[in-house]
Amino acid sequence: MTFKTLKHTCSCLADKIRNSTGQPVCPGQIAPLSESCRSGRLKICKITGDRKLCTRMASLGVYPGEEVELLCPENGSQCLLKLQGTTLTLDSNTTRNILVTEA
Amino acid sequence: MNQNIRMALVGNPNAGKTTLFNALTGARQHVGNYPGITVDYKEGVFTHDSQKITLTDLPGTYSLTAYSMEEVVTRDYLVKEKPQVVINIVDASNLERNLYLTTQFLELGCPLIIALNMIDVARDRGVEVKAEKLAELMGVPVVPIIARSGQGAETLISQAILQATQPWQPRDISYGEDLDETIMELIALISEHDFLTETYPARFTAIKYLEHDDQILQKGQQDDSATAVRLEAKVNQVSDHLLKTMDAYPEAIIADHRYGFIKSILRQGVQSHSFDTDRLYTSDKIDKVVTNRLLGPVIMLMILFGLYQFTFTWSELPVSWLETLFSWLSGQVETLLPDGPVKSMIISGIIDGMGGVLGFVPLIMFMFLGIAVLEDSGYLARVAFMMDRIFRIFGLHGSSVMPFIVSGGIAGGCAVPGVMATRTLRSPKERIATLLTVPFMNCGAKVPVLALLIGAFFSESKALYMFLFTLLAWVVALLTAKLLRATVLKGAATPFVMELPPYRFPTLRGLAIHTWERTWQYIKKAGTVILGISILLWALMTYPGLPEATRADYEQQRQDITASFAPAIMSESSSEKEEVSEEAMALRRQLLTLDNEEAEQALRNSIAGRIGIALEPVSRLAGFDWRTNIALVGGFAAKEVIISTLGTAYSMGKVEADASGSLGERLSRDPNWSKVVAVAALIFIMFYAPCFVTVVCIAKEAGHWGWALFSISFNTFFAFLMATAVFQIGSRLG
Repeated sequence: MTFKTLKHTCSCLADKIRNSTGQPVCPGQIAPLSESCRSGRLKICKITGDRKLCTRMASLGVYPGEEVELLCPENGSQCLLKLQGTTLTLDSNTTRNILVTEA
Repeated sequence: MNQNIRMALVGNPNAGKTTLFNALTGARQHVGNYPGITVDYKEGVFTHDSQKITLTDLPGTYSLTAYSMEEVVTRDYLVKEKPQVVINIVDASNLERNLYLTTQFLELGCPLIIALNMIDVARDRGVEVKAEKLAELMGVPVVPIIARSGQGAETLISQAILQATQPWQPRDISYGEDLDETIMELIALISEHDFLTETYPARFTAIKYLEHDDQILQKGQQDDSATAVRLEAKVNQVSDHLLKTMDAYPEAIIADHRYGFIKSILRQGVQSHSFDTDRLYTSDKIDKVVTNRLLGPVIMLMILFGLYQFTFTWSELPVSWLETLFSWLSGQVETLLPDGPVKSMIISGIIDGMGGVLGFVPLIMFMFLGIAVLEDSGYLARVAFMMDRIFRIFGLHGSSVMPFIVSGGIAGGCAVPGVMATRTLRSPKERIATLLTVPFMNCGAKVPVLALLIGAFFSESKALYMFLFTLLAWVVALLTAKLLRATVLKGAATPFVMELPPYRFPTLRGLAIHTWERTWQYIKKAGTVILGISILLWALMTYPGLPEATRADYEQQRQDITASFAPAIMSESSSEKEEVSEEAMALRRQLLTLDNEEAEQALRNSIAGRIGIALEPVSRLAGFDWRTNIALVGGFAAKEVIISTLGTAYSMGKVEADASGSLGERLSRDPNWSKVVAVAALIFIMFYAPCFVTVVCIAKEAGHWGWALFSISFNTFFAFLMATAVFQIGSRLG
């Protein structure tokens, strides 16, 4: 088995597992970012929780109406989010307060 | 020359401020591909067209609302120092987010100039920015630059000089009908009572009150509590109204309008995309693999192990060259100088002491080079991201990762900047837990001790043992943090949000500067502090010396031995020849044994020897003899001293007749040392009291000497307990 085919097999398997267990955010349905188990494009609907968090997120470019790409779904603590030209890491306390919908 | 112009450099983290600062001032400030490397501000002076300019590099911030230390430092500097020009460095590839901070500078009213950085990166990503159009719509000059190559820097400074004559003029941004009306009411109240107007423009204060900025609210209470109460009441009233009608706090609406303002500018032909903005760049693709939940940690461990393998393999030869050089130097001094205290000081105090420290320069240099590659490429930020998962379990914060790495988490750092780097932590409890545990990491001073003992006792797999001891340092630090957070520092965790820098190819110049800077610091310390302490410890190990009667007794014994041999044997023995008769060799051996016995007696009788012996009944429990005790006590001054003191103690008090060769060889032959003692000693050295400078730093950063004393006593007690357990169990198991 070449490295290329091995890589293909692995990523297919990983996708299958992810797709079977991950709960996609349905179009029109608003859910916390922490519940998004699959990578893909999302739209920020609302920032809830501590009022400081809202200011902090806005200064980082995370605000309602903005489209983002979830690079790495949360694995118990952190998730990787790509927006505009940058990549942000957010912890679970934060992602619980970011409401998103599928873009 | 014209009057000095004061300029400040501001912008988002990782936008290239420090790179531009270095390019303009010729400074060599450290630039890491890691956000938040500048916590404090730095100043540099340079001349442009015979105009003297003082440039201040301020910490990177995302906004001017007091959320973290960086924001407070930047805002306080701007309002207190009032620089004549503020250069706002903006990342062209991420314009919208960067301009969010710009809008706040406009509101503050400082004379502003935008340095549009990374236009090359933006172009590669298909983003074209029209600088003239942006300047026209923002109402401030915009100069495109590439900070890494220095392109556009000259034009930027020429334009900035022109801005220096501009007065501070706040700009208004509309926040919608409701808020604008409230802002006007707040401004009227602020102006009427001259509320904080000496420091901030009235509109800026009004907006910060609406944004619920803790620092401004506190300042207001201290300055004029009656007006502050009236302002807060007004703000609370509008907040309640907005929550009911729009389900949002005023700060959310303010942020929304700021982005609206920025978008309206960008949409007027300032920015154009030649390809899809959704596409993933190489950086994102790499991240999908290296930060993967399963693959990520495996890759991280492999990279770190590779770093040790590289360091030890490549440094082996130059380290042995330096060892040979210092042995040769000792030999030269031995033959050239007459016997006496000066010769003893030069050989035992300076050459053996400093040689032990300087001998590790190649190893330290390779380690720093490896770390510089990881840092400059952006991988270290990913390590922080992955480690956060683990840190959370132990009650620490994701921002604690950098202090740990700076302190020697990968080996070869220093706890002093590590303790200072904890300033980025907002929660006082997480901060104290971090600054108390970072000294457990293997700093640059401990690495040579580890390398020496591992090399002497576990030479078969040095990199593996180094790796294991580094992992042990992490395990102990994290468990201690957990213990502290569960007991004396109990409290809730705070959120961790960080921007990951893109992967960049480290430049050869950058790597060379970083490696040399850190290596030079190590060499400089060896030549100054360590040299001083080495000489002091040599003096403590030499004086008061043996009583006259004992010395005379040894002299008598020497004469008795010599007298028992024939005069021909005596002259043969004292000759330079290596090949001598068996009888002459026996005479040499007897005299050498007597010399060593006398040296050991002298060392035992010295001040340091007496301290070491006094501690021996306790230290024996962990397997340490009195000579090791001297080194460990000296290590409190600076950890590098452990090696130099061991070198001095074992060269002065050598007891076996063939006690020559490097310190490692001497230790491995010494009957008081074994593999178990080496492990116990390594554990004690890794975890006992931090060095004196770190302790002072802990007291300063924690704001209390209590924590500093706690770290000395707790760490020493804990380290001794672990070392004793290792020695006792290890000895019993054989």
